[in-house]
Amino acid sequence: MRERLFITTMLLPSMVLLALFYGYPIFDNLRISFTDLSLLGMKKGGNWIGLANYRELFRSGDLGHILFNTFIWLTATSVLLRLLIGLGIALLLNTRALKMLRLASIARFALLIPWATPPIVAVVIWRFLLERNGFVNEALMGLGIVHQPIAFLADMRTVWPSIMAIMLWNTVPLIALSLLSSLQTVPEEYYEAAELDGATNWQMFRFVTLPFLMPALLVLGLMSVFWSFNNFVYVWLATGAGPGTFTNVLATEVYLKAFVDFRLGYSSAIGMVMAAVMGAFGILYLRLVARRQLEETL
Amino acid sequence: MTAATPARYWRDPGAWRLVVILVLAIVTLFVLVYPAIYVLIGSFRPGGGLVSTTETLTLRNYVRIFQAGFGRFIFNSVVICVAATVISTALSVMAAYAFSRFEFRFKRILFMAILFGQVFPWIVLINPLFVAFAAMHLINSYIGMILTYTAFTIPFSVYMLVGYLVTVPKSLDEAAIIDGASRWQVIWLIICPVMLPGFVATATYAFLLCWTEYLFALAFLTQTDLKTLPLGLYQFFGDDYVDWGAVMAASVITTLPVFLLFLPIQGWISPGRIAGAVK
Repeated sequence: MRERLFITTMLLPSMVLLALFYGYPIFDNLRISFTDLSLLGMKKGGNWIGLANYRELFRSGDLGHILFNTFIWLTATSVLLRLLIGLGIALLLNTRALKMLRLASIARFALLIPWATPPIVAVVIWRFLLERNGFVNEALMGLGIVHQPIAFLADMRTVWPSIMAIMLWNTVPLIALSLLSSLQTVPEEYYEAAELDGATNWQMFRFVTLPFLMPALLVLGLMSVFWSFNNFVYVWLATGAGPGTFTNVLATEVYLKAFVDFRLGYSSAIGMVMAAVMGAFGILYLRLVARRQLEETL
Repeated sequence: MTAATPARYWRDPGAWRLVVILVLAIVTLFVLVYPAIYVLIGSFRPGGGLVSTTETLTLRNYVRIFQAGFGRFIFNSVVICVAATVISTALSVMAAYAFSRFEFRFKRILFMAILFGQVFPWIVLINPLFVAFAAMHLINSYIGMILTYTAFTIPFSVYMLVGYLVTVPKSLDEAAIIDGASRWQVIWLIICPVMLPGFVATATYAFLLCWTEYLFALAFLTQTDLKTLPLGLYQFFGDDYVDWGAVMAASVITTLPVFLLFLPIQGWISPGRIAGAVK
C-alpha cells in the first residue's frame, strides 16, 4: 500500500502535466474545429458550426497544393534524400582508406557541426549563403554555371530545392552518424567470406551491408517522416510559405490561418487533418519503433 | 606494388578508388563545415561581409545587437530554459525511477503514451493551448512558457532517463532500504550520484530543446521585452531589408552555448537514442 502511494506520487506530477499539455488540447482542438472561433473574439467564444470548416477546407482550391507540398516535397523528398545521402556519407566514412588516413574521425567531428547547429540558425546560415550576392551565387557565377544571380528563395524553380538543402544540411548528419554506428556492427568475417566467394563490391553491399542496415534505415526513415511532416520552422523561417503561398505546407497553414487570418476554428480543422495523418503513421510507429523501444527500455 | 613497376601506380585501380574517395570526403567536409565557418567570420565583418570588401574584422555587429536590446532576449531565454529544464528533469527523474523500479497497472500503456509524446505534432496543440493560456493570462508570461517547455521536454527526458536507470541494478536500492534508507534517500544519495552523467546529458539536451524552440515562443510571446533568443534573432530580418551583420552576430551568440554544451555530452548519448527523440 505504501509502495502504491509512492509510485503514484512519483508519476503524478509529470502525468498531470502531459495530460494538460497533450491530452486536453487534442480534444479541445477537435471542439474548436467545429466552431467559428476567432482569435479576436476569444472572450465571447465561437459558435458551433458543425462540419462547415471541414467542408470549406476540402472544397478550397489551396488544399491540393498544400498537400502536394507537404507530402511530396517536405516529407517524401526530404526523407528519401536524407536516407540516401546519410547512407552515402556513412559508407564513405567507413571505407578503409579514410580510416587509415585518420580522415574518418575528422569527418565524424565535422558531422557534429551541422548536427549541433539549431534549425533556427541553420536557416539563417543558408539564407545568407543563398543571398543574391551570397556565397552560392558568387561560386556559381565564378564557375560560369550561371550568368545572373539567382534569387534562390524567391524563384519558384529553386525555392523547394533550396529548402531541401537547408533541411538536409541540418538533418543528414544524425542519419549518417546513426548508420555509421550500425555499419560498425557488421562482422568483418562476413566481408571476408563474401570476398572469398568472389563477390563484387555491389554484391557485398547488397547482400551483406544492406541487410544489416535495414532495421536502422526503417526506424530512421519512419522517424524522419514525423520530423518532416510536422516541421514548421524550416519552411516558415526560410520563405514564410512564400513566394506568395507557393511553399505553404500543412504546418504553416495551421499557423497562418490561426495567427495571421485569426480563424482559430478553421485552423483547428486543418490541425485535425494533420493529426489524422499522423495517427495513421502512429500505428506504423507503434508497430515498428515504439514496441521495440518499450522492449529495449523496460 | 612491386619494385619492378614503380611508375605505374596510376594504373592501379586501387589508387583511383582512393582518389575518388578522397575527393568525395573533402567535398563532404567542405559542405558540412564551411557554411558554419562562413557565418562565424561574417559576424565579425561589417554587413556580414556581403556588402563591403574590407577585410578588417570588427566587433561592431556584436556591440550593435546588444545596443538594440539583445541582452534582454538572452536573459529571457536563460530564465525560461533553466527553470523549465530544472523542473522537467526533476519530474522526469521521479517518473523514470517509478518506471524502472516498479511493476504497476497501466505501466506499458503509460510508457507508450510517453513514447508517442515524442513524435506528437506540436503545431496541432498551438490553438487549444493559446485559447486556454489566454483565459488564464499565461500569454506573454514566463510561467506560461516555463510550463510549456517543461511539458514538452518530459517525454524525451523520461525516455532517456528510464534507459539509464534500468542499467542500475535494483539490488543497490534494496540493500540501501534494508539498511534503513527511505526511497527518497535512495534516489538522492545513491541513484543521483551513480547516474550523474546520464542526468546531466538528459538535462542538457532538454535545455537545448528549449533554447532553440521557435514555434511556441512565436505564438505565446508577443511582447518585445519578453521574447526569447530565437525570436530576437529573427527580429533582424526586416520586411525588405536584412541586417546581415546583426543576424550573423546573433546567430553566433545563439549557437555558441549549444556547441559548448552539446559537444561534451554527445559522446554520452548515442545517435540512435536521439533519433527517437529529435523533433
